[in-house]
Amino acid sequence: MIPPNVGQLPPELDLFAAIFGVFVTVFIYSFLWKENPLSRAVEHLFVGLAAVFTLGFMYDAALSQAVWGTNRLAEGNFIWLIPILLSLMYFFFFTKKYFFLYRYPVSIVAGIMAGMMICGMIQSNFLAQIQSTVELPLVGNGVWEGWPMPGLDSIIIIIGIITALSFFFFTWEHKGALGVSTKIGRYFLMATFGAAYGGTVMARMSLFIGRLRFFFETSYEDWFWAWYLVPVAVIFVIIVALWERRAKG
Amino acid sequence: MSTSKAAGFDRRYIYILLFILVSIPLLYPLGLPIPISTHTEGVWDATTALPAGSIVVSSFDFGPSTIPENRPQAKAHLFLCRELGLKVIALAFWPGGGPIGDSVLSEVYGEGYQNEDFYGTELIYLGYVPGNEVGMQTFGDSPMDAKGTDHFGTSVGDLPLMQELEDASDLGLWAEWTSGTPGEQQVIQFVQGRHGGPSAVPLVVGSTAVSVPGMMPFYAAGQIVGILNGLAGAGEFEWLVNRDYPEYPQEQGPGLDAQSVAHVLIILFVVIGNVGWAVSKSRGGKSS
Repeated sequence: MIPPNVGQLPPELDLFAAIFGVFVTVFIYSFLWKENPLSRAVEHLFVGLAAVFTLGFMYDAALSQAVWGTNRLAEGNFIWLIPILLSLMYFFFFTKKYFFLYRYPVSIVAGIMAGMMICGMIQSNFLAQIQSTVELPLVGNGVWEGWPMPGLDSIIIIIGIITALSFFFFTWEHKGALGVSTKIGRYFLMATFGAAYGGTVMARMSLFIGRLRFFFETSYEDWFWAWYLVPVAVIFVIIVALWERRAKG
Repeated sequence: MSTSKAAGFDRRYIYILLFILVSIPLLYPLGLPIPISTHTEGVWDATTALPAGSIVVSSFDFGPSTIPENRPQAKAHLFLCRELGLKVIALAFWPGGGPIGDSVLSEVYGEGYQNEDFYGTELIYLGYVPGNEVGMQTFGDSPMDAKGTDHFGTSVGDLPLMQELEDASDLGLWAEWTSGTPGEQQVIQFVQGRHGGPSAVPLVVGSTAVSVPGMMPFYAAGQIVGILNGLAGAGEFEWLVNRDYPEYPQEQGPGLDAQSVAHVLIILFVVIGNVGWAVSKSRGGKSS
């Protein structure tokens, strides 16, 4: 079994973790200036670590269901052999002769997921949304009072839904009334994409701020602060970038 | 500067400017006000309305890459649950969420919380639960069958809190800390939808800012009762927790200042870019 504290460094390695953290952060962000061997190396390191970490945890968690913890196999509950054997059949992907066996677990998983998704999505992403739109308040106490007025919100949502849906209606040419509707719908869609873009910017900034806070707030026994090493890491990047340029001639 | 020169402006100067401007508030916090949004209040209201002893699921469905946004959300919420006397079953449907959940719980409940008397009766950490959507559905239908052991290798049959939970409808609240799939939509589809809807399994979400616009229809429909929107949501919730429990630190203030500065800069560049584009077009230049 994977030890529960895996992924967390012991306190005696705090200094090493801070130094390593500074270098990999600067190396990965150096991509913004110019792609270089150090940014590529850290990118590969990240992908490799994530893959190994995920594989290890999934393997451990799957076996904990059937073997340790529950002792299901040891107690003679051999039905748990079926998912284990099915998952092992994925490895036939690597053989030409028995490749067809790889398709069985894939088709079973795809079938299960399709069945689950159809039932779940129709209720949660379709019916519930239609129901909440139908229930939007247009009349009643307080609907047209205060600011923003709930009734105004309702009208904007109704117009947005109808016009945005009309944008994806391709049976007739987008002319006349349909043309006006699709044009309004396009503006609603653009506003939606704009909100998503704003969210993306906000998320990326949060991650960048997270790394900067790591630089400025990480210390070790009051004599080492992480940001001390930032210039050193930058110099490393410059040296390697110049070396690569020279090597390419 | 002509518009053609503006179009050819090296973006790397913008990165340097951004680095400098974002660093300043982190070193010298501006103390900008933190207005509380209604969807953050939704998370607060849904949690504080629960009677003591209610069971809350805290699901760490994110990886290391979104720690700056999701971790402070989860930490502040868990602190509130602890103070309100709510029972917590924490887990992760993402492999990367396993160790993160453990570290957050260690901060809130103390190092070695798994050895404390309250562990098993008021708090359980299942760790990573495999199976993505299937694992989520199994947990909702029959929590005992979702995983054989907790994060520390103890059989779930030996944890009394697990016996109190027959299925997801016994939950007081599901708190989903997410940055992708499986996430809040899968909880709605495979847990909430199968066990009585939003009234039976109220769902609050702490998400990365990039995902929040896609969640708003579910929020409007009542399927999600509250959302913490990225770092800003974490800061707002910290402010609310700090208001009632002053011992809880407000750690995200400088980060929110930095984010506000960055947004002003980006808006400024968007405006400059669009003005440049409009001027260029009016002079008969290329519109793209």
